[in-house]
Amino acid sequence: MNRRKIDIVMSAILIVASIIILTNDNLVEGGMETELGSMFVPRVVAFFIIMFAGTIGAQSVMKMLRSEKLAAVEKIDTRGFAGIAIYFAIFTLYWLLVSHLGFIITTALVMFSIAYLLGGRNWIAITAISVITPLLVYYGCSKYLRVFLPTWTLF
Amino acid sequence: MIENILGGFSNIFAVGPILGILIGIFVGIIFGAIPGISAIMAIAIILPLTFYVDPVIGITMLLAVYKAGIYGGSISAILINTPGAAAAFLTAQDGYSLTKAGKSGKALCMALYASVTGEMLSTIVLIFVAAPISVISLKAGPIERVYLLLFAFTVIGSISGESIPRGLLSCCLGMLFATVGMSSITGATRLTLGIPDLMSGFTFTPMLIGVLVMPEVINAIKQRKTPHADLKLTKSANPADNRISWKEYKSVLGTIIKSSGIGTFIGSLPGLGSSPAAFLAYGEAKRSSKNPEEFGKGSIRGIAAAESANNAVCGASMIPMLTLSIPGDDVTALLMGAFLIHGITPGPTIFYEHTSVIYSIFAGFLLTDVFLLFIARGGFMFWTKVASVPRYFIFPCVTVFAFAGSFTANQNINDVLVLIGFTMVGYGMRLVGLNPAAFIIGFILTPLFEQNLDQAVAIVGTDYQMFITTPFAWIFTGLAVLSVYSTIRQRRKAKRLVAETVSQQLEKTEDIKV
Repeated sequence: MNRRKIDIVMSAILIVASIIILTNDNLVEGGMETELGSMFVPRVVAFFIIMFAGTIGAQSVMKMLRSEKLAAVEKIDTRGFAGIAIYFAIFTLYWLLVSHLGFIITTALVMFSIAYLLGGRNWIAITAISVITPLLVYYGCSKYLRVFLPTWTLF
Repeated sequence: MIENILGGFSNIFAVGPILGILIGIFVGIIFGAIPGISAIMAIAIILPLTFYVDPVIGITMLLAVYKAGIYGGSISAILINTPGAAAAFLTAQDGYSLTKAGKSGKALCMALYASVTGEMLSTIVLIFVAAPISVISLKAGPIERVYLLLFAFTVIGSISGESIPRGLLSCCLGMLFATVGMSSITGATRLTLGIPDLMSGFTFTPMLIGVLVMPEVINAIKQRKTPHADLKLTKSANPADNRISWKEYKSVLGTIIKSSGIGTFIGSLPGLGSSPAAFLAYGEAKRSSKNPEEFGKGSIRGIAAAESANNAVCGASMIPMLTLSIPGDDVTALLMGAFLIHGITPGPTIFYEHTSVIYSIFAGFLLTDVFLLFIARGGFMFWTKVASVPRYFIFPCVTVFAFAGSFTANQNINDVLVLIGFTMVGYGMRLVGLNPAAFIIGFILTPLFEQNLDQAVAIVGTDYQMFITTPFAWIFTGLAVLSVYSTIRQRRKAKRLVAETVSQQLEKTEDIKV
């Protein structure tokens, strides 16, 4: 994948967001009045973001216009991206399900899925680790850290 | 000072801190030795555990993970030629050559002794230099601190990124994310987009784990089809090949001391990190060696130079953080976060407000070096076996620890969503050449910057020339401009060198064809 195109899109998004920060007064609510105001630092930062994002975007546009050969760092290797998408899907499901199925059950399922995704086919060992780890983490968190991880609330 | 140091030792010699150091060393060596996992991942994962213990135990444990992790990186570099970090690249060159010659024990011993010596020397410098520097920096008021922080943003942003605009953009993005939520000065809610959960800003721990740790997991997922490399320790029949004799150690001691000095100096400058230290020290050792041709082909002097410089950065990188509140790299940014979570604000006042804690931590630093020496030396075989655990056992566990760590920060399940979001941000940043460390440093330093800026404006009032009459203003502005200028020059030089090398290689290929 050509990183220059991503640079241009990223720069455009950041510049638009920064312009909104610079011009919109509804992004701040309440607070006492000071000499600088609550939005001084965010706006100064937004100004610099426009500058740097603009520079990056402009450099990429110029390189594309000149049809310059892609440098090694400008080529994004997309092999393995399907696995990344699956991983994010698993993680999002983890977040969604943990409140209903509880930490121990969801974690065991998640660990097994990720181990499978990473190429693990040693079923007994993977199952054992997927069961033992959440039990240990749950016990350790509740007993020693006094942190109570989500429990089963399905029924 | 001596009284404080002795007091620190008396505090550290207790069950809790010693147990913390032992756990830290154990975790650090394992995480450092596993290819594809760095010490920073271990620190970020263990960080939530330290919330619930005494600051001395928690912070010494994190520092033990850091030190042991840096050393652990040399195990995979030597045994399978896979440096965990760029700094271990040179160790891999000489270490792997020794491994191929059946002398992996010798290479591992040299790396360990050089690491521990480098770390100890740098820690001693830290102990004796940090407090006097803090006395000077105590004299800086809010105006001077504003300039100091602007200098830190510029230096870190310009040095750390793939290019200067990318580094500075990373820093600015971190600064912008830090302003989300309630302003600590005016009490106004900013940039929350009407989401009540954002009133208190982004939770630090999930954001940190997401930006710094999880992209490494994502990388492992991306490269899941590359075969797993097993670490194997080969033992030579000749006992001399499996260890470093006192005579051999003495012969490289000069190199170790010189390289530790280079590492300490580079480490004390914000933004440079361990790689330039290792490369500079290695280059110097090669230049001053009687047998420079041996470097890269299994020279123990080469390993000693790279490892001592690389590890000396650990202690020295704490100098700008503890005296000026400037974390020099991602690890110190993370450690600064740990200090803040424990209610200790790194900066010049730390030596007066938390004298006992800070000197206990220094004592813990030295004790970690001693423990690391014995623990690592005692079980080369064990560490290599543990570090050979397949990734399908490690990364599911890392995911669970990241989840639990994010949840424990506020016991709020939405923090896991913050973790997922920042994992995407962190990985995306790496793809487009932005620097996660600069992002984190921008995030951590912005509240300090805003607070000092507000105080400075209150002091100045309408007397605006006060902003430019302080000598600090000129010194730090000059240093910032100088750092940007020198970075531009270095990068141009590096580009020219690469272009020359490529053209020379092309010429050679054409000659061969002819």
